[in-house]
Amino acid sequence: MAVNRRIRQFFLPSLTPTLLIRVFLVSLFAYLFFGYVCTPFTIQGISMEPTYSNGGVNFCWRLRYLLSGPKRHDVVAVRFAGSRVMLLKRVVAQEGEQVEFHAGRLYVDGKEIEEPYVRFPCSWNLPSRRVEKDCVYVVGDNRNMPIENHHFGQTSKVRIMGVPLW
Amino acid sequence: MGVLMVIIGIIFAVTVLPSEEKRVKKRFQLLSEWISKSPEENPITMLQKMKDIGTLFVEPCELKAPHESLSGSYPRQEISAYAGSARSHFFQLDFKFYDLHIAFPEKEVAKVTLTARLIGKSTAGEQVDEIRELECLLKKIDKKWFFNQIEVIEVLKK
Repeated sequence: MAVNRRIRQFFLPSLTPTLLIRVFLVSLFAYLFFGYVCTPFTIQGISMEPTYSNGGVNFCWRLRYLLSGPKRHDVVAVRFAGSRVMLLKRVVAQEGEQVEFHAGRLYVDGKEIEEPYVRFPCSWNLPSRRVEKDCVYVVGDNRNMPIENHHFGQTSKVRIMGVPLW
Repeated sequence: MGVLMVIIGIIFAVTVLPSEEKRVKKRFQLLSEWISKSPEENPITMLQKMKDIGTLFVEPCELKAPHESLSGSYPRQEISAYAGSARSHFFQLDFKFYDLHIAFPEKEVAKVTLTARLIGKSTAGEQVDEIRELECLLKKIDKKWFFNQIEVIEVLKK
């Protein structure tokens, strides 16, 4: 009987000021945490396959670059006007570096970069270009498409919102 | 009781009374609604939407797009015709705006930064998913907001 009462009290608690404060604090924490610290998102598109598949669910950890900047091979979320729509891309070059593609292979400052995450065949050719100050060069893992159809390039570090949690 | 009345009054003012920000948002809603296309859309609705799209713009409206041949000044008629032509290539089209940040830098001028997303299926069966960040300037004429300038912001520079 006492157990029943406890279960009922847990699921249907009495409306007391303490409960209201608790509900308010939990809601506030959830709003701040999932709205500004660890934002849930769904992956739409195939540009990061096979690392991230279309339809997958993940969280964007926004505190990742609080103390340090993005590094080569990091997967990052790039924002547009806000955080409702973001692009998931991989950092391949940093500011000041020369980046180019030759026969589908990535070269940074003239050296070929090993990219074990690129599994599909690629035949891209892109002339060399220097990454500007406060920017990084981002590309998707799925390069098995014409270069014109893939959204990639240099973006400002300010646009990097965080990293996927897994 | 007085405090309650004040709270109700504030909620009423915020939710019911149309602010300038809401009026601006409404123009984007209309643009989104009129550009979007359902597979069952009949020719009369299509023509009406084409005509309606032009009414949202000032004469002429300026479009700035880096590396795209669309940049220039367009009269309303041309905007309607272009939108109609673009829509005709799609079997189904969903055009939405996200993250609208509205500011009023001058009197009768609104500056809106937003993300525009176009998802559709072309008449050839190809899936289209395009995202752009836009900066729009709207002008208030006769108590209505009109698109005056649309600029495509380059997020990724190849």
